[in-house]
Amino acid sequence: MTKPRLRSLFDDPRILGLLLVVPAMLAILGVVLFPMFNSLWLSLQQHDLSRPQENAFIWFRNYIDLLQDPRYLNSLQATFKFSLFSVLIELTLGVAIAITLNQNFRGRGFVRGLMILPWAMPSIVNAAMWKWIYNADYGALNALLSQLHIISNYRIWLAEPVTAMTLIILANVWKETPFTVILALAALQTIPDDLYEASRVDGATEWQTFLRITLPLIMPVLMIAGLLQFIWGFQTFELIFIVTGGGPFSSTEMTNLRVYATTFRSLRFGYGAAMAYLTSLIIFIPAVVYIRTAYRKVVEA
Amino acid sequence: MKSSPLYLFFSMLLALSFMLASCGAPTAAPAPVATQALATEAPQAAAEAETITVIFPKHEADLSGAFEASIREFEKQSGIKVELIQSDWDSVANRILPEISTGGSAYDVVEFDNGWVAEWCGAGWATPLNDFMSAGYTEGMIPGLVDLFSCPDGKLYGIVWNNDTRFFYFNAEKLAAAGFNEPPKTWDEFKQMSLAAKEKGAVPYGMAPFWNQEWSLGNEFHFWTYAFGGQIVDDKGCFLFNKDPNTLAALQYMMDSLKDGVSNPAGMTYNQAASQDAFLKGDSLFMPQGIAGLMAYAKDPSVSKVDGQIKVGLVPGVKAGMSAALTLPEAYAIPSKSEHKEAAWKFIEFMTSKETNKVLAQEIGVLPIWVDLYADPDLTAKYPFWADFQAQLQTARGLSKLTWYGDFVDISTAEVHKALAGEQTAQQALDNMATGLSQFECKP
Repeated sequence: MTKPRLRSLFDDPRILGLLLVVPAMLAILGVVLFPMFNSLWLSLQQHDLSRPQENAFIWFRNYIDLLQDPRYLNSLQATFKFSLFSVLIELTLGVAIAITLNQNFRGRGFVRGLMILPWAMPSIVNAAMWKWIYNADYGALNALLSQLHIISNYRIWLAEPVTAMTLIILANVWKETPFTVILALAALQTIPDDLYEASRVDGATEWQTFLRITLPLIMPVLMIAGLLQFIWGFQTFELIFIVTGGGPFSSTEMTNLRVYATTFRSLRFGYGAAMAYLTSLIIFIPAVVYIRTAYRKVVEA
Repeated sequence: MKSSPLYLFFSMLLALSFMLASCGAPTAAPAPVATQALATEAPQAAAEAETITVIFPKHEADLSGAFEASIREFEKQSGIKVELIQSDWDSVANRILPEISTGGSAYDVVEFDNGWVAEWCGAGWATPLNDFMSAGYTEGMIPGLVDLFSCPDGKLYGIVWNNDTRFFYFNAEKLAAAGFNEPPKTWDEFKQMSLAAKEKGAVPYGMAPFWNQEWSLGNEFHFWTYAFGGQIVDDKGCFLFNKDPNTLAALQYMMDSLKDGVSNPAGMTYNQAASQDAFLKGDSLFMPQGIAGLMAYAKDPSVSKVDGQIKVGLVPGVKAGMSAALTLPEAYAIPSKSEHKEAAWKFIEFMTSKETNKVLAQEIGVLPIWVDLYADPDLTAKYPFWADFQAQLQTARGLSKLTWYGDFVDISTAEVHKALAGEQTAQQALDNMATGLSQFECKP
C-alpha cells in the first residue's frame, strides 16, 4: 500500500529534513544561483544592447580587456584606498568609543542609543546630508571652519582629489563606525573583571592593560568587523554617486560606479558583468586568504 | 513529531509559485501615483477602455500639473485610459532603458531623449511613426527639432514634446553697472566684460558653469564646441574633436576662464541647478546655457533676486555674427514591443498638436515646437522675450548622434574635467578621449 509507505518515508527524520529544506533551496537557486550563473555567462559575451549586431560569445576577452582598462584599474585603486582607510579609522574610533561607552556614567544608555543613529540612517539621506555639508557656497563645513577662523575663504572641497577622497572617507566613517562600536562593546562586556583586577594588582598601566588584555580578547570580533567593513567599502554606491559622482576627474570613482556607468549608461552588459565578476573575485580571494590565515590564527589562539 | 504531507505539498507549491513570479519577464509597469489619482476620477466606462502606459519626465516648469491636465483631456476626448508615470529624468531613464533593452512591453509611450537616438536606431527599440502619421504631419514644426529624431533609414521615430533649447541670458543691470549697455558679441568681449564687472564689484564672477563630472558636462562640452565653431564627429562617427582646432580652442577657453577668474571655480562641482541658482541670486553676470523657462523662475522671489534684471541675448561667437546654441529636445516614442501602438500614436498626436502645444505654452511657458506659435498674439503678449529666442533657435544644434554616446559622455567628462582642474592640457584631454574611445572610431 502506498499510504503507509509514504507515511513511513516522512517518519524518517533525514528524508523529512531534506524535504523541508527543498523550498528554501529552490528559492536560493532562483534568486541567488541562477542570476549568478546567468551573469557569469553574460560576462563571457559581447552583449552591447545598443549594437546588437556585434553581440557574440567572446570567451575571456572582456576579462583580458578589463585588466588593461585604465578607468577600471583606477576605480579599483580608488575603491581599495577608500575601503582600507575607512576600515582603519572605523576600527580605531570604534574601539575608542566602545571603551568609553563601557564605563559607568549617567546617561550611558541614552548615549549608546544615540550612537547607533548614523548607522540606522538610510544611505541616501546620509549622502544628501554630506553633500550639503561639503557644499562650496553654503556648506556647514565651510561655515564652521570659517567661524573658527581656521580658513579665511570658503574652499571648494570636492574639486580636489585628495580632499574629495578624504571627505567621502570621513562621511563613510561617520555612518559605519557605530557598527564597530556595537560589536566591540559586546565583546568588551564578555571580558571578566577579574582579569582587570589582576592586572591592577600586578601594577600594569592602563595602556599595558589595554594591549595585553582588552585588545587580544576583542581581536576576533574586530577582525570580523574589519573584514565586513572592507567588503562593504567595495559595495558603497549611494554616498559616492551623490556626493562626488566619481569626480573630480574620476579620483573617487569606485568600481560600483564604473559597473553602473558601463552597464546602464553605456548599455554594455557583457563588459559590465565581467567587471562585476572580476571585482567580486578581487575581494573574495584576499578575504578567503585572510580568513584561513590571520583570522584563524587569532580565533584559535 | 509527525508532519502532514499536505503541509509539505503547500510549502513546495508556495516555493514554486515564488520562483515563477521571480522569473516573470518582461516586468509589468508599476502602478504610478498619478495613475491612482486618475483612476479615481475616470468614468466607469473606462473599465472597458483601452489603456496605455506613458512614461516621461516631469517638465521643469510644470508646477501646476498642466501636462496631466492635458492628458486627462485626451482621455475624455479619445476614451483611451492613460496610466501616467512621471518623475525626474534620471529615474525615468533608469526605468525605460532596462525595460526597453530587454524587450519588455510595459510602456506604450516613452521618453525618447536626444542622446539616445543613435542607440535606439541601431537596436530597433522604437516604432517608426511614419506608418501612423498623416502626410505632411510635421510640416510647420521647427525643422531642426524634427530631424533630430530620425534614423539613418530616413524614418521618424519620435515627436518632440519638450523643446529644450538653451539660451544666453545676461544680467543687464549688473552689466550696465560695469559700464556696458550691450551683451557681448564675441567670447573675447565676454571675458572683458566679466573681468570689468568683477573689478567694479558688480558680481563675483562672469559665469558659474555646471562643470561637475556628470552627464551634463557632456552637454556643456557640446555647447562650447559648437559655440567655437568646432565639431565632435563627422557623419560616419569618425573623430574630429582631437584634430579640430576650434574644439581645442573651445576647451582651452573653458580652462582659461577658470584660471582668469571669469568662471566661478566652484563650477567644477556645480550641476545645472546650482549654476542657475548662482545666476538667479545675482552672483554671476552671464548664464550661457539657460533653460527657456528661466524668466519665469526669475520672477519667483523665493529663488531669485534678479527679477526685472535679466535679458536674453545671442550666444557670443569667436567673431561677431557667429553664434550657436545647444538644443536638448525630448520626444515621445512608441517602443517596438508596445501592444497598443494605435492608441499610443493617438496620444502622441494629441499631446504634440498645435492646440495642446499652445495650451501648455500659455499655462506653463513650454517653448513651442510649432513655428507659427512664436507669432501667436496671445503668446507673444504673455512672453515678449520669445522674440529674442527666435534668432537663436535658428542656430540650435543637437547632441552627437552616436550609438556609443554613453561611452562618449563617460570618457569625455572624465578627461575634460581633468583638463579643467589643470591636471592636463586641452590637447592631452582630447587625445586621451580619442585613445579611450578608439574602439568606437568611425562607428556612427
